[in-house]
Amino acid sequence: MDVSTIIQLIWILLFILLITGLNQRIQLKLWVFDIRTKLNTIRSLLEEDKAKTRGMLRNLGVEVPEAIIERVIEFFTIEPVEIEPVDIIKRMDHLLRTTEASVRKIVSSHLPSLGRHELSLIESSLSIVAALNIVYKVIRHYLLTGERENNFILIMQLEYLMPQVMRIAYTYHEALDSFMYGKPVGDGAGALVVYNLIERSEVKSRRVVDDTSVVEAYYKGRRLILVKAEGPGSNVGHPGAVISRIVEDLKGSINLIITIDASLKLEGEETGSISEGVGAAIGDPGPEKIAIERAATKYNIPLRALVVKMDLKEAITTMKKEIVEACERASILIERMIEELTPPNATIVIAGIGNTMGIPG
Amino acid sequence: MPLHTLQLTDFAWLVLLIIIIIYMIYDLYSRRPKRSITYTRETLVCTKCGLNVERDFEPGDFIGLVKGKCPSCGGNLKIKAIYSIEKTKK
Ligand SMILES: [Zn+2]
Repeated sequence: MDVSTIIQLIWILLFILLITGLNQRIQLKLWVFDIRTKLNTIRSLLEEDKAKTRGMLRNLGVEVPEAIIERVIEFFTIEPVEIEPVDIIKRMDHLLRTTEASVRKIVSSHLPSLGRHELSLIESSLSIVAALNIVYKVIRHYLLTGERENNFILIMQLEYLMPQVMRIAYTYHEALDSFMYGKPVGDGAGALVVYNLIERSEVKSRRVVDDTSVVEAYYKGRRLILVKAEGPGSNVGHPGAVISRIVEDLKGSINLIITIDASLKLEGEETGSISEGVGAAIGDPGPEKIAIERAATKYNIPLRALVVKMDLKEAITTMKKEIVEACERASILIERMIEELTPPNATIVIAGIGNTMGIPG
Repeated sequence: MPLHTLQLTDFAWLVLLIIIIIYMIYDLYSRRPKRSITYTRETLVCTKCGLNVERDFEPGDFIGLVKGKCPSCGGNLKIKAIYSIEKTKK
């Protein structure tokens, strides 16, 4: 048998594979193998993260940390009925607040002596592990389904989604470190801008309402009401509900509302670039955002927004230096906006949205 | 067909195959994101003389925390910023 016969045979074999569809079967197996390898990587990340949280809880004196971890990471919230939109915001708000309180209750019942700051870090760390756990479980579900049913299309979609999924998994894995030690994260940009403003103006009073701190200060003759989540624990507060209450208390005599938040950048945009616009810059599921919009609309108060751009990874991992610098620039821009948009003696509400971890006030 | 031309085409096929394989391996590795190590650093500012000190982050630190004394004037050092720095490892 010479070389040309072998080549001929290879061609014939390829032809048979093509017409019988066996080549797809081989492709499927290769993809399944690749996805399974990546899934195993996610599992080892998950196991590592669980071990870290176990260690953290054990150090705090919990004897059986597994009980807490399993209970919290499997915790779920059922979305409210959407085909009947009447009072959906109220129902959603109620469910979200109940979730928050329930998770806090589970953790604090095991750690009754712990302060709020540390408790919040544990809650957030557990919710990071929960997020990674969901990624793992969903990918495993589709892999097993696709494999059992020889679903070429499903496995193909999964294969091409895996790079993105892996990036998210690594992001959560890295975020856990920030949340365990209470380092400020990129999402705290809004809170940091407001903190900078508080530091730079004359503070008249401070109070905490609904996990949210409200600071009254004066800047160039204007009265500023600065709103941010109460820090330095891991906390996003209830800025919407609080702003709405402030607006009602002042019977709408507010000249301007500014919200500042971190926003997801598009691929190719620069991290830490700042944009201004109109609307409520807040990324909650709905209740907080609508509260701000309603309050502003009811009394016809201009609603301005400022966002600091970053990608998902930068938003939930330790704040990058570019973002810290962007927050400094954003504070200066806010001061300019105040001077441009309002007369002296005006009252301005400025809300820094986002997780205030590592940022006090 | 004379034998030597056949061998030439076979050889060409082989070269093409090897080039494609090398290209695919190169493509796979060049796209792999570079692993990097991140460090968390913090900047402390003296409330008296304004001296800037940079240090590694320690658990429990947060922005605004008064921590340690200024090495030059003895005033209080306050944490001004906490941020991560990335070092790409080749
Ligand atoms: Zn000093």
